[in-house]
Amino acid sequence: MREIEIDASSKEINSQSRELNRAIKGAATEYQSITVKNPNSMHYIAAGLTEPVDLTLEGSAGYFVGTMIHGAKIHITENAGWFPADNMTDGEVVIDGSAGDGVGQGIYGGTVVVRKSVGSRTGEIMKNGTIIIGGNSGFMTGLFMMGGRMVILGDVSEDAGESIIRGTIYVLGNIKSLGKNADIIEVTDEDKEELKELLESYNFKLEDEKFNQFKKIIPRSMRPFYGKESEEG
Amino acid sequence: MCGIAGIVFKDRKLHPVGDALTKMLEALQHRGPDSAGFAIYGGLGLAKNEYLLNIEVKEKPGLLETVKNMVNIVTPIETEEIIPSVENYIIYRCKISLKSFSHLKPLIMEIDKIDDVKVLNGAHSFEMIKDVGLVKDIAKRYDTASKMGTHAIGHTRFSTESVVDRYHAHPFQSYIVPDITVVHNGQITNYWKIRDPLERKGHIFETNNDTECIVHYIADKLLEGYKLEEALEQSVKDMDGPFSYVVGTPDGIGIAKDQLGLRPGVMAENDDIFTIASEEMSLHQVIDTHNIEQISPGETRAYTFKG
Repeated sequence: MREIEIDASSKEINSQSRELNRAIKGAATEYQSITVKNPNSMHYIAAGLTEPVDLTLEGSAGYFVGTMIHGAKIHITENAGWFPADNMTDGEVVIDGSAGDGVGQGIYGGTVVVRKSVGSRTGEIMKNGTIIIGGNSGFMTGLFMMGGRMVILGDVSEDAGESIIRGTIYVLGNIKSLGKNADIIEVTDEDKEELKELLESYNFKLEDEKFNQFKKIIPRSMRPFYGKESEEG
Repeated sequence: MCGIAGIVFKDRKLHPVGDALTKMLEALQHRGPDSAGFAIYGGLGLAKNEYLLNIEVKEKPGLLETVKNMVNIVTPIETEEIIPSVENYIIYRCKISLKSFSHLKPLIMEIDKIDDVKVLNGAHSFEMIKDVGLVKDIAKRYDTASKMGTHAIGHTRFSTESVVDRYHAHPFQSYIVPDITVVHNGQITNYWKIRDPLERKGHIFETNNDTECIVHYIADKLLEGYKLEEALEQSVKDMDGPFSYVVGTPDGIGIAKDQLGLRPGVMAENDDIFTIASEEMSLHQVIDTHNIEQISPGETRAYTFKG
């Protein structure tokens, strides 16, 4: 495997996102593994990266890390800001620390993993793919979710699954309140098997008993409610 | 956008807080290039009833003397300093004494009556530095790196609704209570609903800027006996719109974020420092931690000195 290191604080890149992305995309055509030193929470790192490369960011990323990637595997060793993996179509984004709002916004495929807690609107308008959150997720988790699956190992705040029309949110902790069109049902044995396999593949080790404690949020209707439910035809 | 930042040294001793905040704001420069500002608390060392005035004066023959004469009629100027700025203006700084804080705002209003002159602020326990342009240029102009203090808040501005000038640079200050400042990222959409009752109480608004509205609102709550934490919590209930803002007082700092969480805010702390910013990259300038906390929608956080 051919590997390369890129220092984002070097004179050539000078902590400029555009220069860093140019260096990453250039390296991705020749190397299978890229390590970025000193990413310093810069925004838009690896935006639009379409090579199937392993990219490690040694530090934190800012907004929109891995937006619109297709096939790359990105590992962030610290935290990420708002909208990591936004609109990803395929690939993997793993964040060892925490992340801000809109994790996995609008993803079409691939997997996003955040090992600690995240901000609000996790997985909003996601169409497919998988999001795993090791800690808590904030307000309106799964807002307008249109497909895919989300697994939250901590608590979720108010209005979970607000206007969800497709997809599934599994929550191990407490659900503060449900949003419009969201419902809670029991997890099936099939769900538990699926969750076990998925979580173990990302080194989340849960006791067997924990899998019985998951709650499953699904849409009540395949289209959103607007206004009061009593006004619906 | 706009960038907001704040830092507290928990031991309440003097630290190079100007240097720390300068680095935090430089890391947020991309959030707003129009102007920048600092409110640096605890380092002025003024005696009781002493105040520092920052006055913007156009470079015109005789105008500075007119300003000095106006001030001297009310109270003798004790010390003075001229800081060159841009666009044919200077910043005239002078130290004065007043019998009480209540005399400060009337003096400022008198000085403001002079054409091409604007009092940027008057303060007892903090140093206000704000100007148009980039952080690094302002920091150099005012030597912010040398400023000592206990805590500070700051801002990089991307203007949206009001003009770009020194006065509209943040922090904004209120004179309802002494030495309160606010830096803000966002818009208050029920501005008039907040402003009207404050004006009915007699509070004076100098601009139509919503950040001025926030600082008067918080100051009014403090005057009513609210603690900073309580005032911040009430503001989140009363104010509409996308916002996150940081308040500075002589006793600490705090942040409030709107109920939908439409503007960013992160924080981190350790045994020595409590710090807040729009983005993580700003926090890393002053604190070495992986533990970055997201401020949740509708959440408020504050650090105030005990005793």
